[in-house]
Amino acid sequence: MKKWYWLIAIVVILFVGDRIMGKLLENIVLSSQFRYSRMYRGDAAADILLVGNSRGLIFYQPFLEEELGIKTFNLSYNGLPADLTYALVKDYLDLYPKPQLVLIDVSLCDRINKELINGFATYASQSKRIKELIRNQDAKVAGGLEVSWLYRYNSEVFQRALFYKNKSDEDWLLDRKITEEIKAKLTPDYEFIIKYPEAMPKQLGETVAYLRKQNINVKLVLNPYYPPFVDHITNLDEFIKDIEVATQMKVVNYATAVQKEAYFGDFQHLNKAGSKVYLEQLIKDGVIDFDNK
Amino acid sequence: MVFNSITFLIFIGVFFPLYFSLKGRARLWLCFLASYLFYGWWDWRFLGLIATSTVLDFWIGQTLEQTSETNKRKQLLWLSVAVNLGFLAFFKYFNFFLDSFQVLLTNIGYSGELGSLQIILPVGISFYTFQSMSYTIDIYHGKIKHEKDWLRFATFIAFFPQLVAGPIVRAKEFLPQFERERKLDHVRIIVGLGQVIWGFFKKVAVADSLAPFVDQCFTSPTSFGSLHLLIGVIFYSFQIYCDFSGYSDIAIGLARMMGFDFPKNFRTPYFSKDFSEFWTRWHITLSSWLRDYLYIPLGGNRHGTFNTYKNLMITMLLGGLWHGASWVFVFWGFLHGMYLVVQRLLGTYWEQFLQWIRTPKVVRQLINMALVYVFTCLAWIFFRATDFENALQVISGLGNLESFNLSQVTNKFWVIKGFVLIGILVLIEVSDFRFDYRSLMVKSVVFRVASMSVLIWLIAFMGTFDSNAFIYFQF
Repeated sequence: MKKWYWLIAIVVILFVGDRIMGKLLENIVLSSQFRYSRMYRGDAAADILLVGNSRGLIFYQPFLEEELGIKTFNLSYNGLPADLTYALVKDYLDLYPKPQLVLIDVSLCDRINKELINGFATYASQSKRIKELIRNQDAKVAGGLEVSWLYRYNSEVFQRALFYKNKSDEDWLLDRKITEEIKAKLTPDYEFIIKYPEAMPKQLGETVAYLRKQNINVKLVLNPYYPPFVDHITNLDEFIKDIEVATQMKVVNYATAVQKEAYFGDFQHLNKAGSKVYLEQLIKDGVIDFDNK
Repeated sequence: MVFNSITFLIFIGVFFPLYFSLKGRARLWLCFLASYLFYGWWDWRFLGLIATSTVLDFWIGQTLEQTSETNKRKQLLWLSVAVNLGFLAFFKYFNFFLDSFQVLLTNIGYSGELGSLQIILPVGISFYTFQSMSYTIDIYHGKIKHEKDWLRFATFIAFFPQLVAGPIVRAKEFLPQFERERKLDHVRIIVGLGQVIWGFFKKVAVADSLAPFVDQCFTSPTSFGSLHLLIGVIFYSFQIYCDFSGYSDIAIGLARMMGFDFPKNFRTPYFSKDFSEFWTRWHITLSSWLRDYLYIPLGGNRHGTFNTYKNLMITMLLGGLWHGASWVFVFWGFLHGMYLVVQRLLGTYWEQFLQWIRTPKVVRQLINMALVYVFTCLAWIFFRATDFENALQVISGLGNLESFNLSQVTNKFWVIKGFVLIGILVLIEVSDFRFDYRSLMVKSVVFRVASMSVLIWLIAFMGTFDSNAFIYFQF
C-alpha cells in the first residue's frame, strides 16, 4: 500500500502548488503597470474615463493629459464587449471618486466576446462582477477557476499584464500607416456589415443609465474609420440609430472626421499621429469639455 | 466521447476502479461494453457498423482456418477486404468520387447534375477497418491463428483507448495479450499515467493553443504577411504532431495502465534525417501497415528501380487518400511519394556533395534534418488547406518577402505563447534522449511527483479548454 502514497502526494502538491503559484501570479499581476492592474490596486483615479474596444485605444492618454493638464484613465481593450464594459465601469466607480466625464466609443457594441470575458478571469479575484459574468456565460470555466488558481492566468490578459509589468501601457495603439495591400481590399463589391448583437446596445444603455444616475457627464462618439472604408459599411446609420434608441443619447458621429490616409493604421484604427489629430478635434468641438479649474 | 472532456474524465474515473475490481471474463465484458459506450456516446447508430465488421471478420477468420481450398480461402479474404473497404468507400469516399466524376463529366461536356448524398463520416472508421482487415489477411497468410473467443475479438476491434484515432494495433500484437494475467501493476500505472499526462499536455496545451493562429492563417491567407504565414505553417507542423501524437500517448498510456502494451506511434519525427526515416517515426503503425499490406504485396523493391518507385508512389498516394476524401490529401501523399523517390535518386550524390565540401557529420545531420522539416512543412500546407486554391494562396503569401517583418504579425501574444510551448515540448523531447524520463519516473518518487505536477500545472496555466476534437478523428 505504501508504494501508492505518491498518488496522494501528487494530489496534495498539485493543490498546494496551484494555490501558491496562483497567489504569486496575483501579486505579479497587481504590481503591473497594465491598466486593469492599476485600476484594481487603486492607482487609476482620473478626471476623464475613456472607454472602448480596440477603437477606444486611440484615445491617446499622454496627448490628452498634456493638452488639458488633467488625469485620464483608459478602460479600452481589444474586442471589449458592452457587458464586460458595464462590469469594469461599475468596478471603477466603486473604487474611485466620480470622473467628470466618461467618453465612450460605441463600437464596443459590435460583439459578444465570451473568450475575452473568460480571459478577464485574471482579475476575478478582484472583481465579483467579472466572476459573475464568467459564471453566467460558462459554468465549466467558472468551475475550472475554482479548481485551479493557475487557470485564472491562462489568458492574453495575463500576458499583457506581464508585458506591461514595468512599463506604461498608455502607448498601446497602432504606430503604422495603412498599407497598399490593405487598401487593395476595398474592391467595388467589398461590403462591411457591423454585426452587433441585439443585447449589446441594450447593455451599453444600462451603462449609460448607471453613469447618468450618478450625475456623471457621458459622451458617446463613433470614432473615425478610414474614409473610403465608410462607403462600404452598409448599416452604419442603422447602427448609430439603434445605439441612440438604446442609450437615449446622441452619438456624435466622427466616422469620417479624419480624412488623411497617413493617419490610419488600417480600416478601423487611427494610428498615433491620427489619434492626436482626432483628439484635437474632440476638444475643439467641445466633446471633451473639461473644466480643470 | 473525446479524451479532452469532462465526460471522459468521469467515464475513466468509473471505469478504472471497476476494471481492477473485476477479473477474467467479467473484466473482458466490462472492456467490451465500455468500448461500445465510448463509441456510441458519439453516435450510437454507428455501433452497427463496428458490430458488422466484427461479426463478419470473426466468422471469416474462423472459416478461413477451417478451409484448405485455395479458391475458397481467396474468396473469403476478398469478402473481408471488400466489405471493410466497402464501408470505408461508402461512408468516406462516396461523395468524393461522385464529385470527381461530376467534374470529369463537366469537362467532357456533360451538363447534368449527379447530386450527392448526406453521409455522416463515422469517427475512426479508417482505423478500425484497417485493424479488422489485418486480422483476416494475417490468418489467410498463416501468420496468426483464428481467435476462438468472440468477446476477445470484439474487444480487440472496439478497444476504446485506440478505437477512434489509433495507434492501429494488429491482431497478432493485441490478441495474445488477453492470455496474460493483468493485475494492478505499480510500474505500469506510473509509466501509463505519465504518458497520459504527457499526451494531454501535447494536445490541450500545445496543439489546441496553436490552433487559433493556424486557423486564422488558413482561413484568410491573403490578409497576412509572409512572416505571419510562415509562423502559421510552423505552428501547424507542431499542432498536427502534438494533436495526433498526444492522442496516441493517451491511448498507449491508458492501455498500459490496463495491462496492454501498444506499439509506439511516433518517435520525434521532426528529427528525421531523411524521408524514409521520417516514415519510421511518423504514424508508425499506419506506415508499417501500408508497408506490410500494400507496398510489399505490390512487389515492394523486388522488381527493379522503376517498379520500386511505382510501388512507393501508389502506397503514398493511397496513404494520402486514407487521410481524407480530398485531392489535397492525395497531393500530400504524392509529395511524400516524390520526396522518397527523389531521395532514392539523389540521396547518395547529396551526401557525397556534403562530404566533398567537408561538412562535419553533425552539421550534415542538422542540414538534412532542416531539409526534411522544410519539405514536410511544404506538404503540410496541402494537408491543412481546404483546397488547392487555399494552399497556393498560403504558398504565394509566403513568397511575398516585402511583408516579412514583425509589424505585419498580428496576435503577437499567441505567437509568443506558441513558441514558448513549442520550446517546452522540444526541450522535454530532446532531453528525454539523454535522461530517459520513463525510467526516472519509475525509479525516483520525487521526480515522478514533480514531473507529473509540473505538467498538470502547465496544462492548467497554458492549456486551451474548448473541447477541441482531435484532428485525426476526421480520418
